Amino acid sequence: MDTLAQEIFDNEKRLAETLRSYGLALTPAEAQRIRQRLNRPPTLPELFIFDIEWSEHCSYKSSKALLKKYLPTTGSKVIQGPEEDAGILELTEFNGDRYGIVIAHESHNHPSQVLPFEGAATGIGGIVRDVDCMGAQVIGSADPLRFGDPNGKHAERTRAIAQGVIEGIWHYGNALGIPNLGGDVVFDSGYDDNCLVNVVAVGLVKENEIIHSRVPACGVGYDLILVGKPTDYTGLGGASFASGTLDQNADEANKGAVQVPDPFLKNVLLHRKANEAVWRRARELGLEIGMKDLGAGGIACASSEMGASAGFGVEINLDRIHVAFPDIPSQVILCAETQERYLFAVPPEFTPEVLKIYNEDWDLPRICSGAGASRIGTALKEPVMRVLRGGEVVCDLPIDFVVEGIAYNRESRKPVVEFPPASIPRPSDIGEITLRLLGSPNIGSKHPVYHHYDTEIQGNAILRPGEADAGVIAPLDGCSAGMALSVDGNPSYGKISPYWGGATAVAEAMRNVAAVGARPYGLTDCLNYGNPEVPEDFWALEEGIKGISDAARNLYDPKGVPEAIPFVSGNVSLYNRSVTGVSVPPSPIICCVGVLDDYSKAITQGLKRSGNRILLAGDRFAELGGSAYEQILGLPVSREIPIVRYELERGLIYGTVEAIHRGLICAAHDISNGGLLISLAEMILTAHRSGNFGLQIDLGEIKTDLRPDYFLFSESSGFVLEVRDEDVAAVKSLFQEYQVDIHTIGRVTDTRRLSVTWTDRKDICTLPVLVMRDTWENALTGVFI
Amino acid sequence: MIDTIHVALIQFPGSNCESETARAFRQCGCAVTMIRWNQPASALAGYDAYVIGGGFSYEDRVRAGVIAAKEPLMETLAEEAAGGKPILGICNGAQVLIEAGLVPGLHPGQVEMALATNLMKREGRVVRRGHHCHWINLRHESRPGRTPFTRGIDRHRVLPMTISHGEGRFVCRDESVWRTLEQNDQIVWRYCDDDGHLRDDFPINPNGSWGSVAGICNVEGNVLAMMPHPERAFYLRQIPSAWGTAWGEQRRAAGGDRAALESPGPGRLLFRSLAGSLPA
Repeated sequence: MDTLAQEIFDNEKRLAETLRSYGLALTPAEAQRIRQRLNRPPTLPELFIFDIEWSEHCSYKSSKALLKKYLPTTGSKVIQGPEEDAGILELTEFNGDRYGIVIAHESHNHPSQVLPFEGAATGIGGIVRDVDCMGAQVIGSADPLRFGDPNGKHAERTRAIAQGVIEGIWHYGNALGIPNLGGDVVFDSGYDDNCLVNVVAVGLVKENEIIHSRVPACGVGYDLILVGKPTDYTGLGGASFASGTLDQNADEANKGAVQVPDPFLKNVLLHRKANEAVWRRARELGLEIGMKDLGAGGIACASSEMGASAGFGVEINLDRIHVAFPDIPSQVILCAETQERYLFAVPPEFTPEVLKIYNEDWDLPRICSGAGASRIGTALKEPVMRVLRGGEVVCDLPIDFVVEGIAYNRESRKPVVEFPPASIPRPSDIGEITLRLLGSPNIGSKHPVYHHYDTEIQGNAILRPGEADAGVIAPLDGCSAGMALSVDGNPSYGKISPYWGGATAVAEAMRNVAAVGARPYGLTDCLNYGNPEVPEDFWALEEGIKGISDAARNLYDPKGVPEAIPFVSGNVSLYNRSVTGVSVPPSPIICCVGVLDDYSKAITQGLKRSGNRILLAGDRFAELGGSAYEQILGLPVSREIPIVRYELERGLIYGTVEAIHRGLICAAHDISNGGLLISLAEMILTAHRSGNFGLQIDLGEIKTDLRPDYFLFSESSGFVLEVRDEDVAAVKSLFQEYQVDIHTIGRVTDTRRLSVTWTDRKDICTLPVLVMRDTWENALTGVFI
Repeated sequence: MIDTIHVALIQFPGSNCESETARAFRQCGCAVTMIRWNQPASALAGYDAYVIGGGFSYEDRVRAGVIAAKEPLMETLAEEAAGGKPILGICNGAQVLIEAGLVPGLHPGQVEMALATNLMKREGRVVRRGHHCHWINLRHESRPGRTPFTRGIDRHRVLPMTISHGEGRFVCRDESVWRTLEQNDQIVWRYCDDDGHLRDDFPINPNGSWGSVAGICNVEGNVLAMMPHPERAFYLRQIPSAWGTAWGEQRRAAGGDRAALESPGPGRLLFRSLAGSLPA
C-alpha cells in the first residue's frame, strides 16, 4: 500500500502543510487520530475519505449530540424517521395499500453564493435523488430562499444572486418535471454575504415498495452498480467546502467545489423512466435491492454507508468505474461529487439486466457522453472498505471507522446583547404605512418568482403557491387524500431570540398547513447557522434546536393523543459566516407536511363572497420586535418578539383544522409577517377579481389596551377567517371548545376598499384596493424580471 | 360500438408530461402505448392516433424541438400524418411538429415557422424574461371539427388552460404565411382575455406570439400543434380557485364536493373529441 510517509506525522508543522497542500480541511489532530486508529499512516485516498466523512456536512460533528437530545423523531404517522436519505410519513391507505410521503430537506447555501445558477440547480438535483432513491415518485418541491437586502449596500450582487438562484431552480426543476408546491423568499441584510438556498422534495411511495439505502440483509456477495454520469473532478471537496467559512476572496477557487447540473440526464433516470424500470423488474423477480443517491463524498460515502448500515463491508475496483477522463487520481474518483449518479446493490444474477436497462434500453451512453451503468464492486461479509486500482490496494479501512464520524463538544455562550423595549412614535397615517408594507420586498407579491416555476406539471395541483398559506396536491389518482406543504422561518425573530425564532418557525409552518384545512403530520428542519466554533453562534444553534423541539412536542391536537409532531428529515448547515466575521441570522427553516382526508375541503385565503363575516382568532399582543412594521419605520430592533403560547397555539391550529373540515370556513389566512392588517389586505388581493371585494373592519367588539398600530401590525399568531353569516355561531362555539377567543371583526363588501374603524368606532384607515394591488404586485419589480 | 382507440405516446429523452398525458387519453377510453425514441421506427406504425407531449427533448439544444424532429421515428410519423392519422403535439410536442415541418405543412417537410423565446412585453417594455408558467384563456378560432381534437368546440369559445414554456412565440420569416393560415382556417387557438378579446400585451398574450397565436394545425387539419397543456386542465379541480370566467365560478362552486371537482375541465374536450370521433 502506498501510504503517506511516517515522517509527515512526526512533525506537526509538516503535517499541517501536507493537509493544506492537498486542500484538506482535516486538522492535524484529526489526521493523527486516523493514523493511531489504523496503526499506520493512511494513504492519500484514505485521508480524503476522512476529510469528507468527518466534515461538518457529513458527520454533524457539532450538532449530532443536540439533535439526539432534543428532536422528537417518532410517532404514529412515521413510516421512517431521519436515518436514511429521506424520511417517510403516512399519507393514507388506499385499495389495501399504505402510501407514504417521502420527504427530504437540504441546503445548498455555499455553492449558491459562489455560483448561484449551478448551486441552486444542483441543490434540487441532490434532494430529488434523495427522495427518488427510496423507490418513490417525486411529486413536488419547495424552495425556501433567503437573500440579502435587494436595495441595500450590496444590492447589485444580491439581485444577481437572487436572479441566478431562481433561474437555476426553474431550469432544473421544470426540466425534471417536478411541480413547485411553494417556498418563500425573505430578504434581509443579514444574508448579504451568505444567501440561503434550502430545498425540499417530496415523493410518493407504497410502503411495501420502499427501497432502502443499504445492502439488503441477504446481500453478502451482491454486486455494487454505479449508474449515471461519468465520474469527473466536479464537486470535489463539496462537503468540506460547505463546512467552512465562506471567503469571498476565494470565490474562484471555491467554484471547483460546486457540482455541475444535468437535468436532462436526470430526467431519463428518474422521471418514471430508467430507475423505475429497474424497480419494477426487481419486484417482478422478487429480488430485494438497495439503492442510494450519490451526494456529499461521492462514491466513498455512498458505498461505505450502504455497506456499513447493513453490517457488511464493500470492495470497490476503481478500474471499473466509468470516468470522464483517463488518469483521474484515485482520491478524486472516490470523493468527487459528480451529479446524477446512484449506487445500487443487486444480486449478481440481476446485474446483466440492470446494465441493459440503463445502457441499452434507456441508452445512457448516448444521452450523455460517457454516462452509463457499471459493476464497480461487491458487498463483503468482512466489515472493511477496500478499494483497488491497477491490482493495488489503495484503501483498506475498518468500515465502521469510516462511517462512525466524530463528535465535538462545542462551547456555548449567550451573547451579551440587550435589545431595547419597543419605542414607536404614534403613526399619523396607518393607511400609508400599510401601503409601504405591501410594497416591501418581504410582503409584496412573489408572483414574479412563482411564475418561473412549473406548478402544474403532473396535473395534481389543487392549491398553488400564492393561492393559500400552503400548497396542496392530490398525488394519488382516484384517491381523495390531499397533501399540504409549507415552509417557514422568520430571520428577524431569530436575531432577537434564537429559541423563539425556532419555535415560531415550527408554529407558523403548522399554522400554514392548518389554514388550508390539513392536519399537520410531520416536520423537517434545515438549521442554517454561523460558525459552531464561535461560542455565540453555537449557543444560537442550541437555542434554535430547543425552540423547534419544544414547539414540535407541544403543538399536538388537544382533542387527540398528546404526541409530538415528528421531524422525519433534516439537515444542518453551519459556517454560514463570512470571513469578515458576520454570521447569518439564526435561521431554522421548517417544513410542515399536512394531510387532508379529502382534498376537496382545502380552502384558499382569498375572499369568497360579499356579505360574509370576518372573524379574528388569536389575541393581539404588544409584540413588535422584529416585525415588518418596525423595519419599515427604520427603528432599532426591539425585544418583544412574538412567542408561541403553546396552549393557545394548539387551539388555534387544531380549531382551524376542525372548522375547515366541518365546512364552516370560506377562507382562512394566518397572521404573520406584517400582522393582522396585512393579512386582511392579502385576503382581498388574492380573491377572484370578478368579486370586486373589499373589507369593512369594525373593531368595536374588541377589548384591548393596545394602540391601533400595535393591534394591527403586531405579528402575534392568529388566524383571520371568512365565515358565512349563518355559520358564525357554530365557529365561535367550536373555538370555545379549543379555548380560543374569537371575535367578529368585520364583513366582506363589494366596495373595493379596505376600511378599518377602531374600538371607538373612529375611522383609522381607508385604502382603495386598486392602489393596494398596484403597490403589492410591483413590490419586486426590478429585483426580478 | 366504437373499438378502443390506440394512441402512441412518443417519448424523447427529456419528455416529462407522459404520465398525465397518458392518463388523459386513458380516462377517455383510449389505450396508450409509450414509444421510446430509440425503438425501431417501425414500432410506431399502425396506431390510430399519435401524441408528443411536453418536456425538454434533448434539453432544448439549439432550439426547442430541433433535435427530436430529426429522429428516425419522425419519418414514420410523417408517413402516418400523410395518411391522415390524428397527431397532437403539446408544448414541446408542438415545437417538435413545427421543427419537423408537419405543421403548418403548406409545403410538407419544410420548416416554415419557429417557436422563439418568449417576448413578454407590456406597453412596449419587456416586463419579464425566461420560463413562464401560468393559466391563460384560449379562444377557439377554427370551425368545430377542423381537427380531430376540436370537434364540438364552437368557434370563439373561451377555454382556460395552462402554459409553461420559455419558447412559445410563434414566428414566421414570411409574414404572408399568416394570411394563408388564416385563409386556410389553420389557426386553431389564440390567447385572449376573460371576455374573449385579443390583446397584444403580457399577460393576455403571454409570450409575444404573432397575433396571439397559441395553436396551429396542418392544411388537412389532422395534425395539431399547441403550446397550452389540455392534460393539465382535464379536471375542474385543476383550475385555480381565483380564476375568472364561468369556469372559475364553477371551480369555486365545486369546493367541498370531490365528484364535482373531478368532473371535466376544459382540456378534456380535446381528448373526448378524439376518443369519440374516430371510425371503428
